Amino acid sequence: MTDRPLRFEELIERYHDEIYGYLWRLCDNGSQGDVEAAAEDLTQETYLRAYQAFARLRPHSNVRAWLYKIATRCAYTALQRRRLAACRYAASFDEATAIPASTAESPPALAMRNEMMAAVRRAVAALPPKQQAAFILRHVQGMAYAELAQALACSEESARANVSQAVRRLRRELGDARMFEYLEEDR
Amino acid sequence: MMEERHEQWLHEALGTPPADALARSRRRLARWLAQTAPRLRWDAIDSPLGPLYFAVSDRGLCSLDFGAGADLDVFLAHLDPLAHAERDPQGLSRVAEQLREYFAGQRQRFDLPLDLERLTPFQRGVLQAACAIPYGAVRSYGQIAQMMGRPHASRAVGQALGSNPIPIVIPCHRVVASDGSLGGYTGGLEKKRFLLDLEHAAAMSATTARP
Repeated sequence: MTDRPLRFEELIERYHDEIYGYLWRLCDNGSQGDVEAAAEDLTQETYLRAYQAFARLRPHSNVRAWLYKIATRCAYTALQRRRLAACRYAASFDEATAIPASTAESPPALAMRNEMMAAVRRAVAALPPKQQAAFILRHVQGMAYAELAQALACSEESARANVSQAVRRLRRELGDARMFEYLEEDR
Repeated sequence: MMEERHEQWLHEALGTPPADALARSRRRLARWLAQTAPRLRWDAIDSPLGPLYFAVSDRGLCSLDFGAGADLDVFLAHLDPLAHAERDPQGLSRVAEQLREYFAGQRQRFDLPLDLERLTPFQRGVLQAACAIPYGAVRSYGQIAQMMGRPHASRAVGQALGSNPIPIVIPCHRVVASDGSLGGYTGGLEKKRFLLDLEHAAAMSATTARP
């Protein structure tokens, strides 16, 4: 963190990519429509709202958490609209977004791996909005709980509770997918 | 080890946005900001007082900073934080040239539009009074207060001079204490002394050079 006041342009230079990435992951709930265009619109909206509120931002505020808070609100509103318009669990894994194998895997192993990852994506997409945001902020964006609480405008306890509930739910949904075992003991 | 693999798995499952999508979004934001935000152009020159940074808005010269504490990031941060700032040496060559001439003792008055919009009417009045002090001369805080029609406002005059966003060009260094001591200067008293000595020497040589 720097002591000098930041210029708005620096907020774009420093945080655009991670804010876009966060919104892109939140938008990717079932591959309904163009995820990239939706993330781009939400990123624009986030920065537009941030621009309008920037003059009221108190000195020495955590601008990263503040931006995530705005981004989360923008995403909630948009996702609620989308969830009203479409069945939440309808989407199936889209071949176009299948993750290419990083290692040489046999076709059956690759198919199984892709199916597994698709299941993870569907399960994360199906989380209640706050749990979904909390889980992604913690385990994908790598945020500490203090910052995460600011981004979600809640207490640190509530942030922890949301992450724990998300992990429990994912484990339940994914049954024998052992990959979430390590996440449960969040400290 | 297992955790690392699982963490990586989670990242892979939830994916990473494609680079071209990120670039497209960045370009869109840059276009939007260029259309929305007030535009500031800035440049820097080397001066005998160290690097000297200056910025120009659509109205005119609005900021100048120099000296040991001057730093590009700090300078830019103190400009309008919502502005879209870009370096423009070509567009600002006239400002740079006049500043260089001043430091060479070859310029006594700056001929540049100024932007003092962000100041109060009183601050603007004080700075305009400072602009009226001839090159090489000094006035006291009390004299400026009197020029403003507020003879008891010496302290307020001092504060207004301290808020001068365009030192050197608006010569607040020409205002000194009534006992002849230097008074104060945001850039440091040694800088004030340097500027007064520079002007005094140039004014003297101009006088002696006259036939």
